[in-house]
Amino acid sequence: MINNVKEIPIEGITYKNLKIEKEPLTPEYTPPPPELIPAKNRAVCIDPSRTCMPFGAMWATLGVHRAIPFVQGAQGCTTYVRYTFSRVFREPATIANASFHEDAAVFGGRKNLIRGVRNLVCRYQPELISIVTTCSSEVIGDDINSFLDEAIELMEEEMGPEVRDAVKFVVVNTPSFAGSHVEGYNRAAREFLKTLAKSTGQSTEDIYFIPGFMMPGDIRELKHMMDLMDVSYRILFDISDTLDCPLVGMPNRIPYYPPGGTKVEEFVRAGDARGLFALSPDAGGAGATWLERRFKVPSRAITMPIGVKNTDNLIKAVAEVAERPISEKIRWERGILLDAMADTLHYTMSKRVALCGDPDFVAAATGFVCELGMIPTYILIGTKSRTAEATIREVCEEYGHNPVIMNDSDQFEWEYALKNDIPDVILGHSRCVNISREIQVPLVRYGFPVYDRVGFQREPIIGYRGGERLLARIVNAILDYHYPDDRTHQ
Amino acid sequence: MPYYQLRCNICIPERNKHVIIVDEDRSTIPVSNAPTVPGDLTERGCAYAGARGVVGGPIADVIHMIHAPVGCGYYTWGTRRHLGNAYNWARPGVLENEANHRRHCFTTDMTEQDIIFGGAEKLKKALLEAFRINPGARGAVIYNTCSTALIGDDLEQVAREVSKEVGKPIFACASPGFCGVSQSKGHHEFNFQFYKWLIKYREQHPEVCLKEEEKTPYDINLIGEYNIDWDTVVIVPLFEKLGVRILNVFTGNARFQNLFTLPDAKLNVVHCQRSATYIAALIKEGFEVPYIGVSLFGLEQTSKALRDTAAWFGDEKIIKRAEEVIEEEKAAIAKALEWYRNKLEGKRIAIYVGAPRVWHWPKALAELGMEVVACMTTFGHKEDYEKIVQRVKPGTLVIDNPNEFEIEEMIETRKPDLFLTGLKEKYLVRKFGVPTLNSHSYEKGPYAGFRGFINFARDIYQAIYAPVWQLAKEDF
Repeated sequence: MINNVKEIPIEGITYKNLKIEKEPLTPEYTPPPPELIPAKNRAVCIDPSRTCMPFGAMWATLGVHRAIPFVQGAQGCTTYVRYTFSRVFREPATIANASFHEDAAVFGGRKNLIRGVRNLVCRYQPELISIVTTCSSEVIGDDINSFLDEAIELMEEEMGPEVRDAVKFVVVNTPSFAGSHVEGYNRAAREFLKTLAKSTGQSTEDIYFIPGFMMPGDIRELKHMMDLMDVSYRILFDISDTLDCPLVGMPNRIPYYPPGGTKVEEFVRAGDARGLFALSPDAGGAGATWLERRFKVPSRAITMPIGVKNTDNLIKAVAEVAERPISEKIRWERGILLDAMADTLHYTMSKRVALCGDPDFVAAATGFVCELGMIPTYILIGTKSRTAEATIREVCEEYGHNPVIMNDSDQFEWEYALKNDIPDVILGHSRCVNISREIQVPLVRYGFPVYDRVGFQREPIIGYRGGERLLARIVNAILDYHYPDDRTHQ
Repeated sequence: MPYYQLRCNICIPERNKHVIIVDEDRSTIPVSNAPTVPGDLTERGCAYAGARGVVGGPIADVIHMIHAPVGCGYYTWGTRRHLGNAYNWARPGVLENEANHRRHCFTTDMTEQDIIFGGAEKLKKALLEAFRINPGARGAVIYNTCSTALIGDDLEQVAREVSKEVGKPIFACASPGFCGVSQSKGHHEFNFQFYKWLIKYREQHPEVCLKEEEKTPYDINLIGEYNIDWDTVVIVPLFEKLGVRILNVFTGNARFQNLFTLPDAKLNVVHCQRSATYIAALIKEGFEVPYIGVSLFGLEQTSKALRDTAAWFGDEKIIKRAEEVIEEEKAAIAKALEWYRNKLEGKRIAIYVGAPRVWHWPKALAELGMEVVACMTTFGHKEDYEKIVQRVKPGTLVIDNPNEFEIEEMIETRKPDLFLTGLKEKYLVRKFGVPTLNSHSYEKGPYAGFRGFINFARDIYQAIYAPVWQLAKEDF
């Protein structure tokens, strides 16, 4: 024991030297009462695979150039979210807060918003501020639009009309007691377009994309594919160069703003777009619907391009809307993915896989695991989805599988199912690491959130190349866990 | 003009009184524990974070029930590194992968309907279910947050009813995020409410108190020690070697039932003197149990903690034992400490943590030959800043509740070799080529006590000497 050694070595106390005796709380395992296993039978939610709405609106805002979310609520509503961004991206996330104290709870957050927006503008000169509401401001009943009008008026008086014109505002109502982070993003997608998009009547060549909770690596992969297709494109809420940025050394200009993000002007021009694709129907679909209704821009929500068919669908749809041929280079990448699938089929075929995650990720990933010949067993859609269940059913039917689909449940129910019917592999996020260890099944990390391993924000899982990478993750996990080392050499 | 205006604060002069340069007679301290300036990019959290995250969260064998919309529970689920060793079974013969208090998130997941019609019934039902699902739990702690406080759900009533039904203690902590100006208010609320509840519970259930025959003259509580990255592994044995008995650690890896014996100790030894002196003071008032403040970081301070504890008992044997322990421990780390001191001598450090570590650490860092150039706290009070200005050199920059912009300006103007800070700030500062160390949850702890001090020194060394910073400076 570390307290008894005569001399502490230079390397200090390592985890191996910290021997912690575990104390069981009960003499043995007691299974939970059967009637309390389904989440719908319980008042208590145990281990939610989702977080609250404001998070999604903040995520979207951080993908906009020189934009800062202003959270109308208590400080924790910002601080906890910033922790989450830091964990997932290992990057700073600049988010402002109204700092609700007791007086705001009693009298409302008018003063906080007016003062807060003013302070933010004069110190940071952002190009856009999203006002993100919370459960407290919604319960109190803050009249955000009138507060904001007043704030803008005072700002113009103090700082002049140029300052007023230089900053745009988007209000996103995200009461935390409704929906989830997915709906928060969805609402932001709609509200940003609703507030900013215009139509000049002169349509552009640009194809627009709303990525949803894709990681920076995924967005870069999307850009790569569109470049290969020689398509003119715009990506809204583009976090690829805001939440994954280089170390630059001591700055000569503070405050720190990441260089990237979608420009406000790109939102404005969306009304003239040639077409728009929401690549996450649950997180962003509302933006597509609104844009089509308002400006007749052909817009559709399609399954996230994970796997062969899902990517095929995207490429075909883009080719059609942009009136471009499918490029040979894209076909080449598709061929590489098929090649990788052929080379690994003996590892993936008939393997039983459980999936967990945000609706758009699980819906798409289920398609891919079916293409790999795997058998999906239990699928947890992290938050109630309008679209994911049907997408999953359709693809599973096609491949002759009949998984248990949990829509609007929690991880407790899903994990209990896994304990009783152990799969070969789990596709999930970092919160699935415990069940993975407890049933000794490899966890293939993907989607949101992955914070306990590095590099996941940069390695794409979308497109053909991303599919090849995700396939490699799955196969290597299976090899690590299920294959003797003398059977891995071919 | 005692206060200092940072460039970034020109248009929000209300921040000026929170920033000082320590003067020669160390008479000025910044204004603290004051409302946050809205929109200033504060790093502060909320009262719920202080109650649930800091003080209540480490209690190891209870159900932590978050009565709130889903986010409040989600964000505090297994995030802060207050570790423990009470485990539930995952399945027959297999313990869960994480300790009871970090493995699961129990929340009422309040929906719009619940907010409209009230959530007390749901909370009651949720608690009863949670106890059936987690039969090993020795009790529960309920926390409310902004929305459930605003709609006025009566937590205490639910706690009483369910407690009666399941026969286990349940403590309800009102911790709405908007209460107070920072997480400090949450520490305060947890302490006061918990003490009040504990006293009542002891009266109604005298069997939970320590029996006379079980008491010893050398019973102490370690208050305000949260077992971050197993700090207690290196701290507790130090006291035990003196011949005193630690009845309770409040609240690192604590057992709920045990906490009822808090007032039965002879002395309270307080480590985090911002988040937990409250309960020590209450116990002193109610039970005439005195308390002493200690710091358990670095050689001199840890030695002093042991000496002060021994001196309080006044027992020659304990006093002698303290000296022996100090000698043994110093000898055990002397060589490693010397190695790190040679590497770290002369380095300039900026510290930004919650509050007490900002004054615990300058002395410890001085023992490694390092100098503190800037001090900042998220929620320090007057007493914290009085100690800080006494412990750093005149000329040191001190900021109360620094915001992101102020931190950037501090980095730019003070150019520290290392920034001791938290998760949110560390990625920002690294962008500027300045190394950091997670000073809340540590990088690879424990950091406390004599032996943990080597880990602290090692992680500081690793942060500063990583080749990446040199590569970042090269012209390319």
